[in-house]
Amino acid sequence: MPIERGLQYLRHMQRVTLKNLPMPLEKTDKWKKENPDENTIKSIMSRKGPISRNSLPPYGIDPIQAEGRLPWILTVPKEPYYEGVEEARQYLPISLRTLQRLIDLRRINPDKPVDLPVLCNTKLFSIQPDQRQFGLQLTDEGADLFSTPINLEIQWVASELAIAAIERCGGVLTTRYFDPISLSALVDAKKFFERGEPIPRCDTPPINAIEYYTDPKQRGYLANPDLIREERQRLAQKYGYKLPDSSKLSPLYHLRKDPRQIFYGLEPGWLINLKDQTILKPTDNKYQTFYHS
Amino acid sequence: MIKSLSLVKILRQCSIRSIRHFETSTQPPPFSSDSTSNPISQQLPLIVNRQLEYPHVRYPPLQAWLETLGQKRDEKLGIVDLHPSIWQTSPRLDILYENIEWQKTYKKIDWAYTPPHHEYPSMRGKPWPQKGTGRARHSSRYDPQWKGGYKVNGPKGPTSFFYVLPKEKRIEGLCTALTVKLHQNDVHFVDSFDLPTHQPTYLQELTEDRFWGPSILFIDDTDIMPHNMMFASAKTEGFTVMPVYGLNVYSILKHTTLVLTIRALNKIEKKLLHALNSYDTQKDQPAPPDEP
Repeated sequence: MPIERGLQYLRHMQRVTLKNLPMPLEKTDKWKKENPDENTIKSIMSRKGPISRNSLPPYGIDPIQAEGRLPWILTVPKEPYYEGVEEARQYLPISLRTLQRLIDLRRINPDKPVDLPVLCNTKLFSIQPDQRQFGLQLTDEGADLFSTPINLEIQWVASELAIAAIERCGGVLTTRYFDPISLSALVDAKKFFERGEPIPRCDTPPINAIEYYTDPKQRGYLANPDLIREERQRLAQKYGYKLPDSSKLSPLYHLRKDPRQIFYGLEPGWLINLKDQTILKPTDNKYQTFYHS
Repeated sequence: MIKSLSLVKILRQCSIRSIRHFETSTQPPPFSSDSTSNPISQQLPLIVNRQLEYPHVRYPPLQAWLETLGQKRDEKLGIVDLHPSIWQTSPRLDILYENIEWQKTYKKIDWAYTPPHHEYPSMRGKPWPQKGTGRARHSSRYDPQWKGGYKVNGPKGPTSFFYVLPKEKRIEGLCTALTVKLHQNDVHFVDSFDLPTHQPTYLQELTEDRFWGPSILFIDDTDIMPHNMMFASAKTEGFTVMPVYGLNVYSILKHTTLVLTIRALNKIEKKLLHALNSYDTQKDQPAPPDEP
């Protein structure tokens, strides 16, 4: 008990008066000797030279041996090869060829919507959110081989060929953004549910990505659906195939996620109990308004 | 230990003026007229319990004696409960030092002023020619090396050392000063400052008999004091009388003993506890609970 020990000392020691109080360390002579202030330093040092006249040359060069040479900072050139690496987003590639192969080997079910957790459960991709990896991107290797209708949700698409290849067979593609917290929930869904946290609410994409995800040409999830239909027709005309009827497809191909939703069929804010096979939903008003906003 | 119900009955039966101290009344009590008979004619003890606001989580309330100045004989009238967050804080002597430094320096103004070069009389001419005279060479009469010459980087005008110590440090300074005094047996609690006579020798002999020290600080809640008290303390060296709003760390440590009335104690505790337990910033703070 620190207070009681201090009070014990008080009872036995002299009366505390104005002259008995201890001086703080910073005002003692010993401290002042070790840490002199500016004026004492100035009075000790020489009155001449570049130090006292505030005219020292820049780092990297000895003032005595200068003789017209540039300082080190100006002689060494800039090589900005990795400029912006810390802020750049990374996406792991998945080609149409691997997709077709997984479907043929029955590791993916094309009758259900194909999502990030479905692709990660195949254990072919290791996505690390703390290494600035934000999901998967679709490449166009194997566009001729692809021949199954599929409802695909991917994070980035770079080429039009890949989009055309999927839509020629009657499939549907959307690009979707996930922030790192929701990514860590999606990548290993079973582990996340065992942790016992409520399902997070997905954030809006950063400012340099909003343009991409509101573009109908890239089939962004924030784009206007009427414009997306136009773009599908335009792509069909460009690559020379006929768009199959959308009314003949099963309702699974029209399944889309809410911009705040991560899992199909589960809302943000819900707690899942795997052992008792139950779901807990929040009833308080403020939680509902937060998760539904 | 008398229970609270019986105490209330005793207070209702008695109709003596000093009981009005323990009920909240604003009238100052009149002087005591009879000094020959026993001034304490009510049943003792007077107080045994006192209700405290914001009870401390860890420590129970401290206890101190209640004494009188109305008679020379040292008789205890009861027991007073004290709040531990004011009277049992850690004895931080560095905070006391900071408070005293602040009290000394915030009023300080340094009036030193050395006129600079342009406020001196004209220094146009050389005092004597460069060569020929056997004296040293000079360009003007009022250079710094001359006696009576200007000073280059001397003090310029009134400089103030004003600063305001943060409120938490000032509050903690008061609390530590009170704990230091209490735990060194230099605090005494008194029912009121009513003396039987105006003679200063009465007070002086009383304090000498009780070993209350050469310098005493008497604190009451208002700034209007009874006449006997004022006269006696004005004539003796070392006795000062103060209201609650004048309480400060420097005075507490300068005087050897502190003497508080019960009404002053209530006021001090109310103010300090209100400040210790409020989380308002400077802007949203409401008005303080009592005016001085």
